[in-house]
Amino acid sequence: MGPAITPGAPAVELHGVSVRFMSERREVAALEDISFSLSPGSFLTLLGPSGCGKSTLLRVVADIVAPTSGSLRVLGQAPGEARRRREIGFVFQDATLLPWRSALDNVRLPLQVGGSPARGGRSPEELLALVGLAGWEKALPHELSGGMRQRVSIARALLGDPKILLMDEPFGALDEITRDRLNDELLHIWRQTGTTILFVTHSIHEAAYLGQQVLMLAARPGRVREMIPVDLPEPRQLAIRDTAGFGALAGRLRAVLETC
Amino acid sequence: MASDVGMVHTAAASPARAAAADPARAAWLAAQRWARWKRRLLPLLGAASLLFAWWALVAFFQVKPFIAPAPQVVAATLWQKSDILLANLWPTAIEALSGFLIGNLVAVAVATLFVHRKGIEMAFFPIVVLINSIPVVAKAPILVLLLGNGMAPKIAIAAVICFFPTLVNMVRGLEAVSPQSLELMHVLSARTWEVFIRLRLPTSIPYLFSALKIAASTAVVGAIVGEWIGSQEGIGALIIQATYNFDSALLYATVICGSAFSVAFFLAIRMLERICVRWAPQSQS
Repeated sequence: MGPAITPGAPAVELHGVSVRFMSERREVAALEDISFSLSPGSFLTLLGPSGCGKSTLLRVVADIVAPTSGSLRVLGQAPGEARRRREIGFVFQDATLLPWRSALDNVRLPLQVGGSPARGGRSPEELLALVGLAGWEKALPHELSGGMRQRVSIARALLGDPKILLMDEPFGALDEITRDRLNDELLHIWRQTGTTILFVTHSIHEAAYLGQQVLMLAARPGRVREMIPVDLPEPRQLAIRDTAGFGALAGRLRAVLETC
Repeated sequence: MASDVGMVHTAAASPARAAAADPARAAWLAAQRWARWKRRLLPLLGAASLLFAWWALVAFFQVKPFIAPAPQVVAATLWQKSDILLANLWPTAIEALSGFLIGNLVAVAVATLFVHRKGIEMAFFPIVVLINSIPVVAKAPILVLLLGNGMAPKIAIAAVICFFPTLVNMVRGLEAVSPQSLELMHVLSARTWEVFIRLRLPTSIPYLFSALKIAASTAVVGAIVGEWIGSQEGIGALIIQATYNFDSALLYATVICGSAFSVAFFLAIRMLERICVRWAPQSQS
């Protein structure tokens, strides 16, 4: 398995990470001096106004975007190393399925590219069943609903049992009923797999319901506003949203969000 | 409620019995059937009426046979001179098909190069788009002058004419991948050739086919225009001969023969497209 992952190392650790882009001959600071650390197995939601660099932050962790300055470790390794070892699963806002491949073949894609490091974990068939799509293996993406497509992309991200799952507003384009159901199923998957999850959202309720902690980002430039712990009882069920505790938390998140 | 369900079942099992029970539904079914027939019959009717108008005009104004033939004369020529027509269709078909194959293969290869070497694309793609906008009939004579006589130059003309639309479409198709798909491939540490085989190439197939459908007819045009100048055989040569001999019936028959081949070629490509592109809901075109 190559170099061992440092035991007890944080799942994700950022020190003063900044990202700048050139746009229209003007330099734009997308992220400025981001530092935080996340222990393995935790569920962090990232919340903030648009333009706060939530998606960029996920892309830095996934080694899609390189930081302009600062340093980060993913499972005690450089992010590129973690990516090559398939420790990272990514779920995009759009399901990003290959339209000519069946649901099952889409989940299999990670086995067919990138030298496909042989790894344990659940088979593609088991993963489709885990996300509630048993019996839909042969369906093409255009035959599936938006929610089902996103389930397929979650199954694909879970292939190879990654230690970190990065999710970029995965349910943002779905209707509320589907979104609630997928939130519940995601918590179920998180408990079953023990994966560390970083989840970007622009919904206060989603951030509060899913996360153990909410990382609030401020915009222009994107910077850490506050790390807010979520002290709601586990395991959570949707009914928790009707409790006074949840209402108070959502109220607090909204109050902080308004200052960002 | 229960009787409703029963009704639906009977309707599915035996429309006639359901129709007897429900005159409104019977009328609706009849209207649907009539609409279906209309879709099939009206185009035939339109063609028949134009043929009749052609015949009537030629008969009424007593048009001389060397100016325009009557439709029945053209039909007779198609039958009587089918051996000459086929003998001349053969070289044109070979030229068009070979040109089609060569032109499109080279176009796909160049598109692949363009997508992977951005500098080359930036330097040459604007010129390619410009040349692509020149009409085929304007390009062909230039190539005839450049390439001379024989079958090879005709193939080259057909190939060059196919090349540009396919190159333009193929470059667009290979670049039509979403940024997120590329990010996905990056997260999976896919190599450049894997991104090409697994993502870019399949994405470009619908674009390729829309180019191939254009190329199917332009390849035939290229071969025919190539034959116009200094050629002894082929549909193009026969068109010139028939015109100079004032043999209008043969001219029309030759044109019909060439068009029929062009249409058959186009339909073959469309059939191949239906087989190859199954993932998207079929677009009607």
